[in-house]
Amino acid sequence: MKERRVAGILCSEVLALLSDYVDGELDSVAVENVESHLLGCPNCERFGRNFGSMVVSLREELARSPEMQLDVMARLLARLRESDTRS
Amino acid sequence: MFDPSADDDPRTDQELIALSAAGDRSAFDRLVERHAAAVLRLTNLVTGDPMTAEDALQQTFLAAYRNAASFRSEASVRTWLLAIARNAALRHRSKRGREDIAAESLMQLGLDAGWGAENPEALAIAAEREELLRRAMGDLCTEDQEVLVLRDVEGLSGLEAAEVLGIGERALKSRLHRARLRLAGSLRAALVPDSPEGRGGR
Repeated sequence: MKERRVAGILCSEVLALLSDYVDGELDSVAVENVESHLLGCPNCERFGRNFGSMVVSLREELARSPEMQLDVMARLLARLRESDTRS
Repeated sequence: MFDPSADDDPRTDQELIALSAAGDRSAFDRLVERHAAAVLRLTNLVTGDPMTAEDALQQTFLAAYRNAASFRSEASVRTWLLAIARNAALRHRSKRGREDIAAESLMQLGLDAGWGAENPEALAIAAEREELLRRAMGDLCTEDQEVLVLRDVEGLSGLEAAEVLGIGERALKSRLHRARLRLAGSLRAALVPDSPEGRGGR
């Protein structure tokens, strides 16, 4: 990876900011800096786009499961009722 | 399977916890039904064992019911429950000790993840395959898994996740970014066997 300075910001600086950028947690000046860099740096643009897709997949693929088994829920509610009668 | 989306109770978590604190068990049952799956995902991950995870799940809700009156109304009930769950799960895990996270440079983590490589697309392609994503998550240390589960899977805000983990928001951001890059490296290794990660060249 050849480090470049594009739009006044280094590739490694963009790398450090990627999660904040993906999460929408940069201020408007930093967003502009990162986006100007990405426009002029195909390496960072491709990596950043795929990194962002990975974060989206993580949310979509893993949030659904593992599902709660009915027997686990039944045992949990029974345990809570049991503690109720003891107290 | 228990389906939490079948919940049609219009009352908010805050209302339900207030009723629970006053001794309304059915209100507390609604909270259990809403949040048990998220609590179990976290306890499973921290303990690494389904039986122990279920014990920690039960301890979490027993403690939450007992302490419902101490809940601060400005906090999120989900965050509060996840913080109790994490502590319950960590107690089971204490004998195994905490793993040390290797302190690779950010640049090295980026290179392993495919930053500057010919085919960074491998990362996004691998991430769309649930089994690869699960395996890559499984390869990470618990500290990395925790932050990814809280922020990206459960959708907690940075502040909420930091609260559950007992760290500051800045430390949370740094831990999250490193964990995502390690996950990317692990995913890439699954599809690109000759990547530095795939060669075991960590």
